[in-house]
Amino acid sequence: MDDLREQVELLESSAHLSTSINDVQKAIDLLTAARAKIAADPHAAPLTLAKLQDPFKKTLETAQKDLKPIYSGLNKYGKVLDKKFKDKPLPSAENDALSSHPSLINRAIAMHLLREGQFSVASTFVEEANRRPPHPEPTLNTPNPYLKESWEKDLAEGTFNSEKLQQQFAEMYHILHELRNERNLEPAIQWAKERSEILESRGSNLEFELCRLQFVCLFVEQREDNCRDDRPEGPLHAYHYALQELLGFSKRYMRDVQELMGAMAFWQNIEDSPYCRIFYNNSAWEEVAHSFNREFCSLLGLSADSPLFIAATAGAIALPYLLKMQSIMKEKRTEWTTQNELPVEIPLPTPYHFHSIFVCPVSKEQTTDANPPMMMPCGHVIAHESLEKLSKGARFKCPYCPNESHPREAKKVVL
Amino acid sequence: MAELTSTKLNAESHLLLDQPLLRMPYELSRRNFKNAQRVIEHSSVNLTKELTTATKAASKTSSPDATLESLDTMISRMQTLKRKLEGLHEEEMRIHKSAKARLRHLQDLYEVRSLVDVKYDEWSRTRLSRLLVDYLLREGYSESAAHLAQSKGITNLVDVDAFVACNKIERSLREGMSTSLALEWCKEHGKELKKGGSMLEFELRLQQYIELVRQGHEAGMGGMDGIESDGMNGINIGGGGGEAKLVEARTHAKKYLSTSGDFELLGRAAGLLAYRPWDEVEPYASLYSPSRWTHLATLFLSTHHSLYSLPPRPLLHIALSAGLSALKTPACHSAYTSSSANASSSTTTVCPICSTELNELARNVPYAHHTKSIVENDPVVLPNGRIYGSERLKAFNKKVGTESGWVRDPVGGIHGDAWREGEVRKVYIM
Repeated sequence: MDDLREQVELLESSAHLSTSINDVQKAIDLLTAARAKIAADPHAAPLTLAKLQDPFKKTLETAQKDLKPIYSGLNKYGKVLDKKFKDKPLPSAENDALSSHPSLINRAIAMHLLREGQFSVASTFVEEANRRPPHPEPTLNTPNPYLKESWEKDLAEGTFNSEKLQQQFAEMYHILHELRNERNLEPAIQWAKERSEILESRGSNLEFELCRLQFVCLFVEQREDNCRDDRPEGPLHAYHYALQELLGFSKRYMRDVQELMGAMAFWQNIEDSPYCRIFYNNSAWEEVAHSFNREFCSLLGLSADSPLFIAATAGAIALPYLLKMQSIMKEKRTEWTTQNELPVEIPLPTPYHFHSIFVCPVSKEQTTDANPPMMMPCGHVIAHESLEKLSKGARFKCPYCPNESHPREAKKVVL
Repeated sequence: MAELTSTKLNAESHLLLDQPLLRMPYELSRRNFKNAQRVIEHSSVNLTKELTTATKAASKTSSPDATLESLDTMISRMQTLKRKLEGLHEEEMRIHKSAKARLRHLQDLYEVRSLVDVKYDEWSRTRLSRLLVDYLLREGYSESAAHLAQSKGITNLVDVDAFVACNKIERSLREGMSTSLALEWCKEHGKELKKGGSMLEFELRLQQYIELVRQGHEAGMGGMDGIESDGMNGINIGGGGGEAKLVEARTHAKKYLSTSGDFELLGRAAGLLAYRPWDEVEPYASLYSPSRWTHLATLFLSTHHSLYSLPPRPLLHIALSAGLSALKTPACHSAYTSSSANASSSTTTVCPICSTELNELARNVPYAHHTKSIVENDPVVLPNGRIYGSERLKAFNKKVGTESGWVRDPVGGIHGDAWREGEVRKVYIM
């Protein structure tokens, strides 16, 4: 990378057009000087012009000669570039299954822009994409994209209503902004209250956490304002709030509510009390904002981080492996036999694992809907096909323990 | 051990997607330099010639006004040259600046060691924005592209102008049905095109010829209104300027097409003179067909992209198809709700492939290959066959406030099925 930068800097600092521009200026000076002379003394015209010939020609030649360093600089630059990318081919498009679904890609991009909060870019894009609808191109897997177009169109337009989605994300950003920058819990609490039931059934603490934070705010905030005052204004305020709002949570969050109420006793020296960690927790706001973000997206059926981002990043990680595989396959002239499974394993970091994966320890195949994982009574799990092959319909021994069982007793499990 | 190797970031191999990022400014610099070289050469030759004639003229006639006048034109020409060079110089510096910004951007990657570093996340976000802009530009959504680049502050990392110019030419072919812009482009890139053996210019000239012939036939038709008596012989190149057009077409062909050496094609081209656009006789009908313009537009794009070392498909497609496969599991399009990643409980996150944005797109790609099972620690199975990590199951039940001694299935939410703790069994995943 450094040698490349060196080349560019060299071009930028010394090998550029300004020398030639100066030469051109010199030529102009020569011409104007000659013109002035001739205007002053018309009879000298032939002589002056004759004298002008040679220097003028030479200056222009210099102007051309001064281009040479740029030329050689660019050549070197090109060579360094070639060296840098010598063993890195431009990624080919052999396994491009996407060109046949441009409207789906467009939808994914629009949703990505919206969830990133780029509302004005998103609206420009939706407007432009509607004006110039994309042309699907045939690819290996879908040789004739137009056949499928109608369902795809329905799908892309049916579920994708950009205005509605934009409104929702605008609300999300508004609430997040209030949380993070204004330290204002009201809009978030309002939002969570409206969805109280559904949040509760998901096992989400969000509403309670928001209310607890509100309690903490009331408790701490006013204390600082009039700390000389003997009346525990803040804690009293918080107490009233707790009576109003928190008691509703006491069934599910008995301990936490008790904790908060217990803290009341320490209103004068909360910093030294065992409850200090609740009241002076700097990351609380960020945590709440984060879990709000997650819940909001989940309720829309979307993942918390942009799928486009995760997929593109995973793609960049996977690409070296895939290209290597392609070149090996080309060398050995083998075909890739498992159409619906990649032939190489790609080591993605743990945050990129979402679903559990079950690989049958007998057949070494991943289980699918057609070949689901089965648990034998001993608690060991193998794929359905392996089970059939091992047992042949009769009692058989588990390959991993001495236990014997009948295939009927095996049970389908879901990971 | 596997963990360690899988999070290590190898910047060198990571740059596969970024070759065009550096190639483009290089190609643009070269183009810019060539332009400068051409204007200087051109002006030098012309102006020295002019000076010589002026000198000769001055010694003969000695009319000072004429001499001054010719000097004035020379001066103004030189000034135009200087202006042009200054413009090119500015462009040159702009390109170098963006090249440096790109190198810095890539250099940043070398300073990140791990794929799970926050810095890598940030870098990758910038890369995604770049890929998106590239995609938008290729699809012709240049307004959105410029807007996005602006709002992300990455204008130095993308080539909006170059693509806008390219799109303009493509559109002039596809929609405007005009060859002039594309031919101009061919002239500018003549040398490289010849070196690469490109057929673009020939195809464009052929199209010009076809259009001339078409006009000829149509004009001929106009001239023969009501005289439908030419019977079997088919063609009667009558008045109405039709013949003149056909003659023009023939000269055009002689000038531009005859050097190609493809006699079969030339034969077909000559045949056009005898077959009219509405005769519907192959292979002439397909030469007359408007779909040739689409063909020309595609040919122009592929020529343009290979000349500037741009991959034929958007980089976003390449990154996404690889990413979709790497992430996809058999569970992503399964009929059963996955226990480990679903939208129905807050203890799991939605998998990006299952999310609405990508689910349909991923339907046609192969899923990732795994040789080992990946499950949560300490898995247990509920009587309904669902497997969970015991930690997560406990956390969920605590959050929904299940009565002690009971366990609820997270997929069902708070009203889901519940069992006595004793019914939860350990399961062994090898």
